[in-house]
Amino acid sequence: MSGEHHNTDDTGPAARVKALEALLTEKGLVDPAAIDAIVDIYETRVGPRNGARVVAKAWTDPGYRKRLLANATSAVAELGYAGPEGNHLVAVENTDRVHNLVVCTLCSCYPWPVLGLPPVWYKSFAYRSRAVSDPRGVLKDFGLELAPDVEVRVWDSSAEIRYLVIPQRPKGTEGMSEDALAGIVTRDSMVGVAKVEAPHA
Amino acid sequence: MSSAALNKLIEAARLDADHVFSAPWEARAFAIALKLSEAGHFSWDEFRDRLIAEVGASDRIRARDGTSDHGEYYEHFLRALERLLEEKGIAPLGTGSQG
Repeated sequence: MSGEHHNTDDTGPAARVKALEALLTEKGLVDPAAIDAIVDIYETRVGPRNGARVVAKAWTDPGYRKRLLANATSAVAELGYAGPEGNHLVAVENTDRVHNLVVCTLCSCYPWPVLGLPPVWYKSFAYRSRAVSDPRGVLKDFGLELAPDVEVRVWDSSAEIRYLVIPQRPKGTEGMSEDALAGIVTRDSMVGVAKVEAPHA
Repeated sequence: MSSAALNKLIEAARLDADHVFSAPWEARAFAIALKLSEAGHFSWDEFRDRLIAEVGASDRIRARDGTSDHGEYYEHFLRALERLLEEKGIAPLGTGSQG
């Protein structure tokens, strides 16, 4: 055994991943360039901008909204968004009376093709353990207080189904183009922990 | 208590909205798991089962002790991957901990 300091370095997650990648590369099971490519896709190309385009289109195109609510997987594929964790996508729509909130109580299930990978809080015990039992309390932590007569629906992502919240289109955005609208739709609003705000004039 | 923990994580996400990984090793662990799954060495469901087990074990300790997590998800992720690769005979446990 090596000394304590040395040992700590070697067993840290960074060292373990490095050794694992080296072993798998040596066995011909992974190619570091292919790993780089996946990292690049999930760091820069797949993300909530995709979902924002979906929402903006649903806001401006009633036919698309209908298709999205009927079959979200095929509706987002119309815009070119598909891939792992997107095969059973369900869109749920916020209204004046219903607010939807998405969680994965067991781990981290999340609709990758439209939102990318989940943020740290989504995967945290603090969020997962309270979103079902105390959704209004959780929303308050995000700075969102709903009127008492608004029904909160919590969707627990299962092994199969992934959810996308269609937030409400804010008042005062009637003249905005689809592109401009996509620019104001946030990730948090599509998980249901925030509302979309109209841009300040 | 867990409200304070959540607030801290929300604030961290607001300060750093663009990074889905907190460290390069997290990104590589994720990409390795996805690549091996896509290549058919295991299904993503098989991996998720191990991940749920790791996360669940940690959750039970937190619930018992009343402690909060601070974003160590990818440590569970890595352990789940290591266990699955060992089960599949692809890589022995402890691959990364040789001195």
